[in-house]
Amino acid sequence: MAAADSPSAALRRHDLCTRGIRLAGKMRADVVDLLDTYVEQQGLDASVSVTAVEGVPAAAVERWDEQTGTQRLLENLAAYRAFRALLAQMLEEQQEQLGEADAALGPALAAVLLQVSAFAYHLEELLRLESRGPPSEEGAGPPPLSHLGLFERKLRGLGVLRELAQWAVRSARDLRQLAKPSLGSSSAPGPAESP
Amino acid sequence: MFSGWSWVAHGLFLLLSICSFQVSGGLVQSCGRIIPESPVLALGSNFTALCILNESCLDFGNIYANQIIWKIKNRVVPKEQYREINKTVSSVTFNDTSSLATPLTCNILADGQIEQNIYGISVTIGLPPEKPKNLSCIVHQMSKLTYPMTCTWNPGRPTFLDTHFRLKYRWPQENFPDCIPKDANNSCTVTDVQFFVNLEVWVEAANALGKAESDPLVLDPIEIVKPLSPHNLSVNSGILPTVLKLSWENRISAAVMKLKFNIRYRVVGDTDWMQVPPEDIASPRTSFSVQGLRPYTEYIFSIRCMKEDGVGYWSDWSEEKTGVTTEDKPSKGPSVWRIIDTSRSPASWTVHLMWKALEPFEANGVILQYEVTVRAKSSLSSPPEKYNVNATNLTLKLPNGTYEVTVIARNKVGASPLSVLLIPAINSKAPVKNLRTLPKDGKLWVGWTAPNSYVLKYVIEWCLVSNSSDCIIEWQTEPGNIQGTYLKGDIKPFKCYLITVYPLYADGQGSGQSVKAYLQQDRPSKGPTVQTKKVGKAEAVLTWNHLTVDEQNGFIRSYTIFYKTVDGNETAVTVDPSKTEYTLSSLTSDTLYTVRMMAYTDEGGRSGPDFTFTTQKFGKGEIEAIVVPVCLAFLLIVLLGVLFCFNKRDLIKKHIWPIVPDPSKSNIAQWSPQVPAKHIFSSKDQMYPEGSFTDVSVVEIEADDKKSFSEQDLKPFDLLKKEKSTSEGHSSGIGGSSCMSSPRQSVSDSDEGETTQNTSSTVQYSTVVLNGYRDQTPVQVFSRSESTQPLLDSEERSEDHAGGGDSTAQRQQYFRQNGGQDEINTDRPCFERTKQISPTNDGDLIGFAQLQISGQSSQLLSLGLEKSTQEAALSDVLQMSTEGQTETPETAEGNPLLVDEMPKSYLPQTVRQGGYMPQ
Repeated sequence: MAAADSPSAALRRHDLCTRGIRLAGKMRADVVDLLDTYVEQQGLDASVSVTAVEGVPAAAVERWDEQTGTQRLLENLAAYRAFRALLAQMLEEQQEQLGEADAALGPALAAVLLQVSAFAYHLEELLRLESRGPPSEEGAGPPPLSHLGLFERKLRGLGVLRELAQWAVRSARDLRQLAKPSLGSSSAPGPAESP
Repeated sequence: MFSGWSWVAHGLFLLLSICSFQVSGGLVQSCGRIIPESPVLALGSNFTALCILNESCLDFGNIYANQIIWKIKNRVVPKEQYREINKTVSSVTFNDTSSLATPLTCNILADGQIEQNIYGISVTIGLPPEKPKNLSCIVHQMSKLTYPMTCTWNPGRPTFLDTHFRLKYRWPQENFPDCIPKDANNSCTVTDVQFFVNLEVWVEAANALGKAESDPLVLDPIEIVKPLSPHNLSVNSGILPTVLKLSWENRISAAVMKLKFNIRYRVVGDTDWMQVPPEDIASPRTSFSVQGLRPYTEYIFSIRCMKEDGVGYWSDWSEEKTGVTTEDKPSKGPSVWRIIDTSRSPASWTVHLMWKALEPFEANGVILQYEVTVRAKSSLSSPPEKYNVNATNLTLKLPNGTYEVTVIARNKVGASPLSVLLIPAINSKAPVKNLRTLPKDGKLWVGWTAPNSYVLKYVIEWCLVSNSSDCIIEWQTEPGNIQGTYLKGDIKPFKCYLITVYPLYADGQGSGQSVKAYLQQDRPSKGPTVQTKKVGKAEAVLTWNHLTVDEQNGFIRSYTIFYKTVDGNETAVTVDPSKTEYTLSSLTSDTLYTVRMMAYTDEGGRSGPDFTFTTQKFGKGEIEAIVVPVCLAFLLIVLLGVLFCFNKRDLIKKHIWPIVPDPSKSNIAQWSPQVPAKHIFSSKDQMYPEGSFTDVSVVEIEADDKKSFSEQDLKPFDLLKKEKSTSEGHSSGIGGSSCMSSPRQSVSDSDEGETTQNTSSTVQYSTVVLNGYRDQTPVQVFSRSESTQPLLDSEERSEDHAGGGDSTAQRQQYFRQNGGQDEINTDRPCFERTKQISPTNDGDLIGFAQLQISGQSSQLLSLGLEKSTQEAALSDVLQMSTEGQTETPETAEGNPLLVDEMPKSYLPQTVRQGGYMPQ
């Protein structure tokens, strides 16, 4: 926390939060667009319900407002590392299975992957500013997809994107909480700011 | 001989051995090589190459390193740069690679004679890459999700080598593939970038001589975005006539960036854009209502956007869309003015009302008609007259008086405010002061000083002044609070405008003040034509006409007259432009002058045609001053001459116009004393009633006259004297025949009457003057004295006085001369007689009698001189003379010889001559 006390660290933290919020916003917007494209491209129904994706922390959380900043950052980082792996996997599948016909989906997926990666970087930097340091990524690899059929993979991908969209919203709010100067990084936000 | 052949054989062997070695050793195998092989060298650096000979070649051809020759192309490298390292290695060193060229060859001089190439390398010279500078990047939004980033940099100096540039970028935790420029070395485009994460960007340049990297650029690509402009712009008119609502779509997600906007608009036809205040549209939106627009006006709109915080770039302007505001009622009434024509009847005016069509921004719609109301102020009871007019003028005939005219314009929404014009009976209010003009910005500005009273507005009238067209009045109104304006019209340069400003008061109208002005002046199109009005000896009056207003092209500031003689310098005189006449003075008389005239405006002058004139030789009055005195002098001389001639008429007459006796009229009977001539000379009968007529003529010679005569009149006598022989023969005509009558005639002609009387009262005399008429031979002069004075006395007296005073001597001389003349000029018979008498002069009566006839002139002179002193005795003499004459025949009779001769010879002579006309 000592680093967080210095003006440059506070400025850096504020900058990271601000841009993280905007990145989350853009990421959500892109994911929403990507969802539409994905549903269309994959021949899915937008209203289809998808079960929770394995390996992805749920965005919804109880007592969200009671979480500390570090806790929020850690949860976010865990989620986005998982999304990064999942999206990379999806992109790989996409390139293997869909070929050139779905050229628009691949770049969009790659762009989202980049944003997820960038957001994870933001979170890691924030954690460094918290004098905590990011946890290692060991053991965070995505589960193998070989046992899943093609449709299931599509549904899984849909689920990943939907969850990512959820997380994008939550992450923006988390970072807003962190950006508030009056609040300590470890203090819990008030009920009014709860999502 | 053998030795020579052996050398040739040895050389051939060497070549064959080299070739055979090469062939036997492989396809390509030389006797040596150069290290380094194909080097790339930095320009300006030093370089050393080694040529290494194969050992095998040493064996075959006795080739050693000291035989190596280095060449650049075909040029041998100086041996100073060689160094023999050992018997198979030679090096060459270049301190500056700029002297290098390709190829660099290693050659050997086999047996010191034949040069053989061993090896060659290609040398590449260049520069290492410079550090790329000025790296900058921009993200162009290509679509909603596509954001390529283009970075540019300065690659630095040319390297002359194949240099590769790479744009590198990375996130702190992730590297991206390099961007490799295509067809350029100073820019590269990354196809897609992600925002909100700092991106480190740098450029790497590399070639064979090295590698260089630019300074890294760390940025968040969102900060360098140039977004796409909003699209689908639409313009809708609102409820209000001054509002238009714009709507558009943004093509960048609000999640990516929040936008701010610029909206610009302009009236169709204008070129200047107006902008909506940026602070009004500094937040994200997709619509905006533009307010403060003019009613019934078509506007063009365009919009652009950029990141809300101003970091990044503005998008391009969107496509333009137009919209029209709705109509509103006219914002003001039309400007009204009038022209009053009073020429037809002083009691009735023809009033031309005219008003300006409202400008579109004032009309606020389509003007349907104008409503004109004319109210006579003098008779308030009479109702106003109303006119609905579609045009912008109205002509009325009104009685002389004061009127109030109101005009309103009406469109479909409503009517304009009233425009009021007061037409007063007289313009008696204060005018504006200090009216002035100034060309400014291609327009003509009119300024004035306001009167002291409050002015509602000003009317500025102007018209183009021209000889070729009438003054067509244009006008405009200006509010009363200004003191200057530009003329709103097509004001042409080089044309004269007459500008009049009227102040309009609430209760009347001020008189107009006028000024002439030019928007732009030029030189006159021609110069004045000068000519002379009057030319004198030293001055000339020049006249010219003013240039017409169309020729002036500006205000004529001055005239300059240039005049010169044929060979003289030109003299310039500046003349006031109001003048049309000028007098050149101090000119040289009788000289040809060339004169021309220039008219100047502020922009310069132009000369008129040359005119030549010649000054007069004499000045005014000079001829008169010469001629008149000359004439007067001439007249005076003539007058004096006349007077002189008059005074000397006798003399003149005697000289130039003597009376020539007409012999045909001679009558001796009338003269002869023996023949009673009473019936002929009645006057003498009366004068001498007693018959005491005398034939003696007396010549009165005054002392003064004598002198004058003595020289002039007696000259002929001298001549005669000299020409005695000739005159004798000549005198036979007149003198000969009238030796006594001709002289007598001359005397009687001069003053016949007086002489007659004088002689009758005093002394009867007769003068025979010896003279010649012009070239005629002078006639013999005879004088017959009628004196009664005893001839002897005079003779004695003349003799007595011979030795006396001068006068006496002169007289005596004169007598002698006369006597001489008598002797000379008298006809021979007379002369002979005189001769005959002379010896017997003392007491011979016969001689006396003869002398009376022949020598009468001398006696007369002497008698005349002494007439005054001997007056008393004269009468006696006359008496005696008369008696003596009467006695003469008797005396003559006493001398029988002479008597017999004389009457016979004398009388008939006298009668025959007939020239003697006794008076």
